[in-house]
Amino acid sequence: MSVAQFEAVESSAVSPQEAAGGLGRDALRRLRRSPTAIVGAVLVTLFVLVAVFAPLLAPYEPNFQRLDLIRPGVYPGPSSEFLLGLDQLGRDELSRIIYGARYSLLIGVVSLTLGAAVGIALGLLAGAFGGWVDSLVMRIVDVMLAIPSLLLAIGVAALLGRSITSVMIAIAVVNVPIFARLLRGSMLAQRRSDYALAARSLGVPRSRIVLQHVLPNSLSPVIVQGTLALATAIIEAAGLAYLGLGSADPSIPEWGRMLADTQNSLATAPLLALWPGLAIVLSVMGFYLLGEALREALDPKLRR
Amino acid sequence: MPNYRRHGLRRQGAVALGLAGLLVATAACGSDTDDDPGTTEGQSGGTMVFGTSADPISMDGAYVSDGESLRVVRQLFETLVTTKAGGTDIEPLLATEYEPSNAGKTWTFTLREGVKFHDGTDFDAEAVCANFDRWYNFKGVQQSASVSYYWQTVFSGYAKNEDPALGASLYQDCTAQDGKAVINLTSPSASFLSGLALAAFSIASPEALTKYEADKVTGTGEEPRFEGTFGTQNPVGTGPFTLETFEPNNRLVLARNEEYWGDKAILDKVIFKPIADGPARRQALESNEIQGYDLVDPADLDALEGAGFQIAERPAFNVGYVGFNTAKPPFDNLKIRQAVAHALNRQALVTAKYPPGAEVAKEFMPPSLFGYADDVPEYEYDVQKAKALIAESGVANPTLEFWYPTGVSRPYMPDPAANFQAFSADLTAAGFKVVPKSAPWNPDYLNAVDTGGTGMRLLGWTGDFGDPDNFVGTFFRTPQKAWGPIEKSIYSDLDAARAEPDEAKRTALYEAVNSKIMEFVPGVPYVHTKPALAFAKGVSGYVPSPVSIEDFSKVSLSS
Repeated sequence: MSVAQFEAVESSAVSPQEAAGGLGRDALRRLRRSPTAIVGAVLVTLFVLVAVFAPLLAPYEPNFQRLDLIRPGVYPGPSSEFLLGLDQLGRDELSRIIYGARYSLLIGVVSLTLGAAVGIALGLLAGAFGGWVDSLVMRIVDVMLAIPSLLLAIGVAALLGRSITSVMIAIAVVNVPIFARLLRGSMLAQRRSDYALAARSLGVPRSRIVLQHVLPNSLSPVIVQGTLALATAIIEAAGLAYLGLGSADPSIPEWGRMLADTQNSLATAPLLALWPGLAIVLSVMGFYLLGEALREALDPKLRR
Repeated sequence: MPNYRRHGLRRQGAVALGLAGLLVATAACGSDTDDDPGTTEGQSGGTMVFGTSADPISMDGAYVSDGESLRVVRQLFETLVTTKAGGTDIEPLLATEYEPSNAGKTWTFTLREGVKFHDGTDFDAEAVCANFDRWYNFKGVQQSASVSYYWQTVFSGYAKNEDPALGASLYQDCTAQDGKAVINLTSPSASFLSGLALAAFSIASPEALTKYEADKVTGTGEEPRFEGTFGTQNPVGTGPFTLETFEPNNRLVLARNEEYWGDKAILDKVIFKPIADGPARRQALESNEIQGYDLVDPADLDALEGAGFQIAERPAFNVGYVGFNTAKPPFDNLKIRQAVAHALNRQALVTAKYPPGAEVAKEFMPPSLFGYADDVPEYEYDVQKAKALIAESGVANPTLEFWYPTGVSRPYMPDPAANFQAFSADLTAAGFKVVPKSAPWNPDYLNAVDTGGTGMRLLGWTGDFGDPDNFVGTFFRTPQKAWGPIEKSIYSDLDAARAEPDEAKRTALYEAVNSKIMEFVPGVPYVHTKPALAFAKGVSGYVPSPVSIEDFSKVSLSS
């Protein structure tokens, strides 16, 4: 049997790809049975739908303003006209929460994609080459990990100036070392596994082993991390906005900023702080629950 | 240095608290704090704790311009003249009479007799002249605008100007003649006397100034260090209170000056307690930890009043405005400036975000000041007119770079971001494209304004003394990068108005120039507010002053 033939057999019968496929099906089945996953998925779906269809769902434009209904310290609460009441400048709170989902989703997805792409590239580099490349990449990653993530994000956002783009970059930067380390660790484990060793002993080129065998098998923790990172990104975006490092335009309905704006009126209008807070909690919870369920579902050790 | 910088923490402006009337001697007021030493001897007025937003930077009046420092200086020291309680009219204090001669260039002050400094030395003409000469001879760091800001406002320069940008000094010399202090000026000034009421011109004991090394200042203009202890531990003046202790970040205790020349203070002690956080000050009042505080959040007024606390408003003596930099297009275009003025719904903002009593402004100075003109060009809220003006301007898709400060609250601008958002929505509705820009108040924002870096900006001004030169004069008497070039005759008209000795003529000159300014629209004034203080029920006798010249010696507590 030639090497090529062996590979053919390997891929048709016991290939890791198929194992992964089996795991995927298995995972999906287990997800459907997990209440955690269902709650998470529902919350995430709702969040995405609200974000995507914000203009259709929101009763008003986010900056539609009824200043005439506002008096110092007095903000009309929920009514049939304004379901969640008016904010400090007479804008419809519900519409702003709905539009706020867009910014959270946008920041979450873009920063995740950016951070994961760079992180995966670095992790791949380290995991594939090992040796001094690994050492170099990992030391850089260590340095980045040594700085508390929110502090790192604040630093980057402050450096880049106030804009949504800098928030995205800041959160992406925070994600880079996490993904790099995760993928590299996972790949190291896979590289030492029997199937990789077998492939190597048969003379399969290293690039092929890495890209076709080791990498696909190392990705499941990365996928889980991706879901969790979305949750973190939403919190971090809100945190940065709360600290005044969000968009330079204060009228943009970012949840974190909306929360910060209610600080001084907590005593008179506590509901105004509740809504954005609730929005942040629910969306973050959705991603966390889904991520947790996904982790359990994808973990072969937990297979029952 | 533009004057708004010094407002530090001061809030001025507004109405007399219906003082005596408020003496509702009801429930035990918070006079008995643990700081009250069983007051057995003679008159017992108790102790009042007053919540401030910060410690004084120094208690040497010559070195400070922020409200928290000036508040303390006012109780320890006195000036030659002062303002009538609750107003801006000048009346005697340490000087019993004052008389200009030599066409307004020589001023003779007859001094009060029998006045002694806290250290027992005599207050006399020599002491007055020693103080003036001290200020005039400031050197090095003392000459920076952040240190001797008010000297520069009133007298421009020093004996030897170290910064060529400083003007020639208005002050020439001071001589003691038969118990009178005679001050010579280099040119006539109509606003000099009003200026002398500023706490910066408090007369200190010359002996103590030397003994406690008041002139030992190191560091830089931005960060001066006062090495002597005069301003921190040993301030010696003639005021109704003396300093008992000053524990930074904790409390500053003033005790009644038993040797005071006039009516002695009613309270035994006044304690200034720094509480930086606004909501925390309110809670401290509610829990009777303090019996009064300054800088009340407009949003808290109703709740405090409802809970039985007294609200004291200062007369409106400020202006909040949207300023243009005419050096930056499209603000060089008169039609665009007029369009912005018509696009802003000032009334809606003032009603929604300012405390009751705030009024919409139509010019750059408050109505209570002489020279205020009723018939200036007005720009009513009219979106259609704004759109028409934009069309006439010839500027296609006008984009406005609109700046607002962060991390700051001013009486004329309690929440800059809210004002920005309200105006920004108005401007967008009129067809402008707004580019938001923001920076932390100090130093970034103020620097950006000073260097002409802002196209359109939110800013304001609180008056220091009752003279129009301190309002329109500070903005438009000299060309400033913040405003860009404006109609040239405004500069000269303001110069002429400042020098005019005749009160009636001065008033007419200022009225005319106010109209001219609003014709040019270098900015859109939008509000005059009445900053408020809050007091516990039993407090009475506090008279809010438009220029924050407020005296704790008349305050009493009922229990």
